[in-house]
Amino acid sequence: MSYFLNRTLSILLTLLLISMITFAVTNILPGDVAMMIMGTQSNPEALAGLRQSLGLNDPIYIQYAHWIGGMLTGNWGNSLIFKVPIATLLLQKATASAIIVVMSMTIALALAVPLGVWSAVHRDKWQDTVSSSAALFGVSLPDFFWGIMLILLFARTLGWFPSSGFSDPGEDFSQSIYHAFLPALALGLGLMAHLTRMTRSTMVGILGQEFIRVSRAKGLSERTVVWRYALSNAIGPVATIAGLQIGYLFGSIIVVETLFSYTGMGWLTYQALLNRDVPLIQASVFVIAAVVMLTNFLVDLFYLLVDPRVRLG
Amino acid sequence: MMEPAMLDTTIAAPSPLVSIEGLRVEFRIDGSTVVGVEDVSFAIRPGETVCVVGESGSGKSVTSLSLMRLVEFGGGSITGGSLRFTRASGEVIDVTRASPDEMRSIRGNEIGMIFQEPMTSLNPVFTIERQLTDGLQVHKGLSGDAARAKALELLQSVRIPEPERRLKQYPHELSGGMRQRVVIAMAMACEPRLLIADEPTTALDVTIQAEILGLIDRLKRENNMAVLFITHDMAVVAQMADRVVVMYRGRIVEEGPVNEIFENPREDYTRALLAAVPKLGAMAGKTAPEPMPIMGATAAPIAETTTEAARTPKVLLEVKNLTTRFPVKGGPLRLTVANVHAVEDVSFSVNVGETLALVGESGCGKSTTGRSILRLIEAHSGSVTLDGWDVRALRTADLRRARRDMQMVFQDPFASLNPYRRLRDQVSEPLINFAIASGSALDDMVADLFDRVELPRAFMRRFPHELSGGQRQRVAIARALATNPKLIVADEAVSALDVSVRAQILNLMMQLQRDLGLSFLFISHDMAVVERVSHHIGVMYLGRIVELGTRADVFENPRHPYTRTLLAAVPIADPRQRRLHDDRSFRAIPSPVFPVGYTPTPSTYDEVSPGHFVLQEQN
Repeated sequence: MSYFLNRTLSILLTLLLISMITFAVTNILPGDVAMMIMGTQSNPEALAGLRQSLGLNDPIYIQYAHWIGGMLTGNWGNSLIFKVPIATLLLQKATASAIIVVMSMTIALALAVPLGVWSAVHRDKWQDTVSSSAALFGVSLPDFFWGIMLILLFARTLGWFPSSGFSDPGEDFSQSIYHAFLPALALGLGLMAHLTRMTRSTMVGILGQEFIRVSRAKGLSERTVVWRYALSNAIGPVATIAGLQIGYLFGSIIVVETLFSYTGMGWLTYQALLNRDVPLIQASVFVIAAVVMLTNFLVDLFYLLVDPRVRLG
Repeated sequence: MMEPAMLDTTIAAPSPLVSIEGLRVEFRIDGSTVVGVEDVSFAIRPGETVCVVGESGSGKSVTSLSLMRLVEFGGGSITGGSLRFTRASGEVIDVTRASPDEMRSIRGNEIGMIFQEPMTSLNPVFTIERQLTDGLQVHKGLSGDAARAKALELLQSVRIPEPERRLKQYPHELSGGMRQRVVIAMAMACEPRLLIADEPTTALDVTIQAEILGLIDRLKRENNMAVLFITHDMAVVAQMADRVVVMYRGRIVEEGPVNEIFENPREDYTRALLAAVPKLGAMAGKTAPEPMPIMGATAAPIAETTTEAARTPKVLLEVKNLTTRFPVKGGPLRLTVANVHAVEDVSFSVNVGETLALVGESGCGKSTTGRSILRLIEAHSGSVTLDGWDVRALRTADLRRARRDMQMVFQDPFASLNPYRRLRDQVSEPLINFAIASGSALDDMVADLFDRVELPRAFMRRFPHELSGGQRQRVAIARALATNPKLIVADEAVSALDVSVRAQILNLMMQLQRDLGLSFLFISHDMAVVERVSHHIGVMYLGRIVELGTRADVFENPRHPYTRTLLAAVPIADPRQRRLHDDRSFRAIPSPVFPVGYTPTPSTYDEVSPGHFVLQEQN
């Protein structure tokens, strides 16, 4: 129980720190929020009036207090470019991104775990060489390369999937999956390569342990030994690595969503940055940080579930 | 044990359960072929314990793994010979030709196996129950409830306290001795006709070793099971074996009934192996340490080594009321919530040119004491005086200077040498560090040090991986000697070495003591070794010295109950002095963790004879 308390406390502290840093950094960016709103041709007096009413003349800590107060009470303000409430906008775009993040992680894990295990079982044989080389190839190439390749193959040549666009899951769920598939695959391939390598090295370590030999000496089948006894021990470490990759994924979706014109968080953040939509930037960074931390917290809870040793400590 | 009359019965003995003939196992390593074992032949009859004994690399484990065809999972392959095994049905099969399915129906069912490391032999994420029942479900087709009942019965037969509770527990919740009992229960689950035990007690403390050996022996007798017992320890062989197979470098050197091997060994290697084993009680009536007899080497008499020092003992190291605690941190602010009382009010002194040994089982605080004296760990309180210097009061610069006088030799010679540096550079480092020598003088001194530890000078240019374990430990000793220290703390310095190498290193240490007047603080768990090398002995338990005195005091007149327990648990390398019994004592060592602010009682001693101190009973 104290574990939950400790973790929650540390998450809250980290979020507070992140909010301060985001706020400070976006404030020293060049550009003027009031001018962004009214345009460069506007009346200097009106501009000054707007600055005053927005509180831009207050000391930075007062501004921060206003902003964080708004964030905590659900009053996230309006986006400057989209002219709609940020909270609504973020919720919608975050859902869109969640689809491709979850899909890419599922694709990556579904391929990486069996491949990594297979590779570890045939360590230093041709199977291992093949899968390790493939994984190295996958890691070495950036996501947008896979994106372009997938568009060329599946959209242009085969025409199986759309090359761009987004469909609201609230209206037609299967359509939204259909649209999300290629961007998710592009993200998943790089991720899979990485996770394959991690699964392989974790499994190699576990397969070398005495209890595996003991399991074989008990007369259990090789399938049971590898896929139940060894893999149960690998699940925790692999899930931890996968959880850490969530942060990496949020970096990658900016590129991949833009490439596929998929209007999710990545695309939104990119637009906000391009147009200096300061309130939107601040809110998105904050949301991304919170999501990454929450996922890792969930992964750690999952670890508690699969590894009894951590449960007591 | 082996009466002359029995020789007749062996002729008409039942047909062997296992008969190994001309076994050859090869390993492919980096494209080349290495022979693991060659031309190995012996038999195991029902109800008999065959001990295969040998040093590391002798192929004893490879032989046992071949019998289970598990050697293939380690990259080996059986390339010759036959392994005939009589199955329960009476059918005799050649294991080398058995199909994988056939092997699976034998493994864990007709042949059970236990391994060396109880801490890693159990799957950490499954309960004890699951690990005990899986074999039963596979081989015997038992249902969940029937398997659970059988698992409970197994835990009772290996005499684990509170067996019902253990079923629900995970391996990390059990102590090492209990885990090894679970592993044995697992191996016994399907009532195998052969039990293979591969160094089953090597990783255990001596009192737990005695319990486990007694357990295996009882199970063997009760089930009329054959046991193939793999070990490096001749004392364990003497206690366990009916017949002995001695192996060396992948081949069998000698084979015979246990009494014959111990009393009438035919081969030089067997004789050397036996000579290298220190026998508890062999030093009775002697005042000073004595080197081990080593075959082939002229037994240089080191007698009268310390007569002069013994007449006028001069104290080099004086430790008074030493206490070392480790904080246990907890809570969100990582505050100290409790303390581990690792060393509690320990006092002793080491004389110039003498050896004081600290003995005890794991967790007793002996290593922490050594490290606290060298200030590798800061003590909580107490005083340490080395040659008149108050070690605990030294500031950084003075402490560095003081370390010239006190050096350390560690347990693992593979980990204590830097793999990327030449040995010359590693041995010369302290000389450069303390600006003792430079240029050609430095080279000469390093060469001298290599001579001292009897290593060829050609080794100076080598890297650690090119040396054997014993040679590396010699380098570690040379490095410790470089600063010409007065005191060397040897922390389990010979525990990781093979018996014959261990004897050589022990002799080297005794010779260095005579030649250089060195003092040793010898930290060890091995009573027989300690008896051989020490002038004085401190027995440690739960952070305190429970008994302190001369070697003769402690070994010939032990007064504290713990010392007696420890001595009684040491296996004796004499098959005519067997004392195996399976008592379920389980003297679980109490926890040394106490809440902050807890004040332990001071250690008070009875002086039963001059210089022989026994800790008073505490409440």
